[in-house]
Amino acid sequence: MDFELNKEQKMLQSSFHDFLDKECPEDIVRQMEDDEKGYLPELWHKIADLGWLGLIYPEQYGGTAGSIVDMAILYEEMGKYLFPSPHLSTVVLSGLPILYAGSEEQKADLLPKIAQGNLIVALALTEPQTSWDGKAWDPEGVTVSAVADGDDYVITGTKLFVYDAQAADLLLCVARTKEAPQGGITLFLVDATSTGISSTTLRTTASDRRESEVVFDAVRVPKSNIVGELNAGWEPLEKAMQIGRVLLSAQLVGGADTALKEALDYAKTRIQFDMPIGVHNWIQEYCIWLKADVESCRMLVYETAWMLDEGLPCETEVSMTKAQANEAIQDALWRAHQVLAGVGFCTQDGILPLITKRSLPAYHYLGDTDYHLERIAAQIEKWPPPEKPQGKPLGIFDTPEDLQVPAWDVWRDQTKGKLW
Amino acid sequence: MDFGFSEEQEKLRQEVHDFYVKELPEDFDGHVSHLSKEIQSFYRELQKKHGEKGYQAPGWPKEIGGLGLGELEIGVVQEQEGYWLITWPDLIGIHICGPGIFLFGTEEQKNRYLPEIANGQKVWYELFTEPNAGTDEANQETRAEKDGDDYIINGQKIYITGQYKPDWFYCLARTADTIPKHRGITLFVFPIDTPGVTINPLPVMGGMLTNEIFLDNVRVSKENIVGQENRGFYHAMETLEFERSNTTGPAARRRELQEFVQFCKEEKRNGKPLIKDPQVRAKLAKMALDLEVFRLAAWRTAWRFGERERLGPLDWDLSGLFSRMTGESHYVWMMNLLGPYAQLKMGSKWAKLAGWVERRWQVTRSMHYAGTTEAIKIVLAGRVLGLPRIPAKFNPAIAQALKGKEVQIVVSEKKGS
Repeated sequence: MDFELNKEQKMLQSSFHDFLDKECPEDIVRQMEDDEKGYLPELWHKIADLGWLGLIYPEQYGGTAGSIVDMAILYEEMGKYLFPSPHLSTVVLSGLPILYAGSEEQKADLLPKIAQGNLIVALALTEPQTSWDGKAWDPEGVTVSAVADGDDYVITGTKLFVYDAQAADLLLCVARTKEAPQGGITLFLVDATSTGISSTTLRTTASDRRESEVVFDAVRVPKSNIVGELNAGWEPLEKAMQIGRVLLSAQLVGGADTALKEALDYAKTRIQFDMPIGVHNWIQEYCIWLKADVESCRMLVYETAWMLDEGLPCETEVSMTKAQANEAIQDALWRAHQVLAGVGFCTQDGILPLITKRSLPAYHYLGDTDYHLERIAAQIEKWPPPEKPQGKPLGIFDTPEDLQVPAWDVWRDQTKGKLW
Repeated sequence: MDFGFSEEQEKLRQEVHDFYVKELPEDFDGHVSHLSKEIQSFYRELQKKHGEKGYQAPGWPKEIGGLGLGELEIGVVQEQEGYWLITWPDLIGIHICGPGIFLFGTEEQKNRYLPEIANGQKVWYELFTEPNAGTDEANQETRAEKDGDDYIINGQKIYITGQYKPDWFYCLARTADTIPKHRGITLFVFPIDTPGVTINPLPVMGGMLTNEIFLDNVRVSKENIVGQENRGFYHAMETLEFERSNTTGPAARRRELQEFVQFCKEEKRNGKPLIKDPQVRAKLAKMALDLEVFRLAAWRTAWRFGERERLGPLDWDLSGLFSRMTGESHYVWMMNLLGPYAQLKMGSKWAKLAGWVERRWQVTRSMHYAGTTEAIKIVLAGRVLGLPRIPAKFNPAIAQALKGKEVQIVVSEKKGS
């Protein structure tokens, strides 16, 4: 057991930190809210040069074969600075399914491009009706259809809440190719400029333009653009989404950590009634729980990232991580707002409103709390009954309490038998 | 980062697990209170067997009855006692007095007291809390006056945890009037049959006992001081950390949740198993999630103890906070789910789950050992987050409340102490 990052990981962490501290001030985050692409290509290429985009890919595809713990460190740091980039969409949610299921040709072509910063891919999974029905993250939530026609497939339907479609060169479209409760899902790589695709950015809490509605109107895609096997797309996607859940949680932890720092700074330096406000118990209470929220999520994030790295079964832990990140980080940010009050709500200035507004889409993305609690419950249902000991029975544990004789005479005498 | 256990640690876990499977009777119920003669003698015997194995104090050297194991291995052993819902007669000896004597006692004291604690033969009480020294433990009013080579102790202790007749007291008393007040307190050890000791039981919610103890001219030799004279408060604080960090708590809660989940699978409401009810499912999942956080926090604390030299004495005691937090909410949820049946006590033929939820619900109202939740927060706010403390002497309302009372107002010279 070791709860600390190792030496290399600490170096990695400080390199992420130093870069973001220098290159990603609050102004950039605010500036990117109104940007059509939602990210700075210049910065994207810089982080590509630093190896952030290939961190998790094998060396043969231009990566450095880093671990998921390494990725969690990166995401926590990106979260601290609210670094605006399509990293999760491209590298994790689209890149990893390609890595897991793609043909050798696809991998050799696409992954190095992603790692070098020359290709942006967005995952087109969630849909209007099934997002409303609470099935956005299950295979049965995929209704957009792809129908074979000669050497092509024709995709029709609407995807909603598609992250980074505005920046994407390719879309990884999750489509139904067979009516089946479990299988029947296929992954298609679709050129974002294909005829029949129209996308519109959504106005969301985050105030940026990173989510879109993407309509596929009879979009033709060659068969060779299928990632993995026909009707077997869900498994690699789910595997990538599990990692994505942990990393998105790490990102939320980073944001809340910044909020904690802001709140503590303010509590120590803001003077009212001739005292720093941090002397007040209620302010301290907010700060303590804020810290507890951040730490509880952080422990879960790294435990789960480690379990994923070790290849241990961790469906329960992944869902615990995302559910806790959803709930505890919302609470944490609320608490930060109570401490920071006036300086925490001006949208023109200060990082807290930016953190809070970005935490809301993240709450829903890759599964909200209800969704993940249900997934945990499904695992709990499989728990075995509690273990039973095997020694000789003694027959002493079911005597009604009022018939028991207290063991010690002092108590017996002084309480006249009324110990219970 | 490594959240797993080594092969040796897994082997140890299995050994301790097998000990309980073999030694606990088939009809064992860890929820039943410890007050009856039969049950007390069962637990005393079990404690001795546990001690013989070296599991009672696995961290101590073999010569004094331990196994010489590290903090993580101690965590492995203690996790099992939690899972089997064991409460030891001598919880205080193992977790408070033993470590204190181990750290601050003389060689002679160590040889005399520690083997008996490790073997599970004796029961200790920790005489710290007083009517006016609760969270503010430095406010000790029990006095120990020097008389030749002896000290004469006078005072009153209250809420002293203990359900078994003790053998030894581990007692804080004032030996000097100092400013600040925590610099004049000394730790004493003495047997309970010393003349002048009176014990009154104070039953508390949940079928447990605490005691009120009067010390009336109790004569104790200076040989019985643990550590340095007037340093007792610091010694006590340092050993109290042991009370706050253990893996027993989350393991016990996990066992209870497992029992509750089993109940939800077997029990039907309106013809459907409880576990199929969406609201029940959400609550079960949330409890499992909270307990995973609690478990991680406990292990992190154990690990931190092991790494003390590397990390310094930072005591970011999350596990204490999570313990109280989940203690508050989980039993309430379980009780609410049981409806009017929740109120039935153990022994009622109508009680669900044999009534243990009701008992634990009451117990959580008595969970203030090692300091209240608020005391934990004071430590967290001051020592971990570095928030300022309220300067009492500048506050007119506080000054008014203290008027006429002999209270020294000292602006803390040390953060969070």
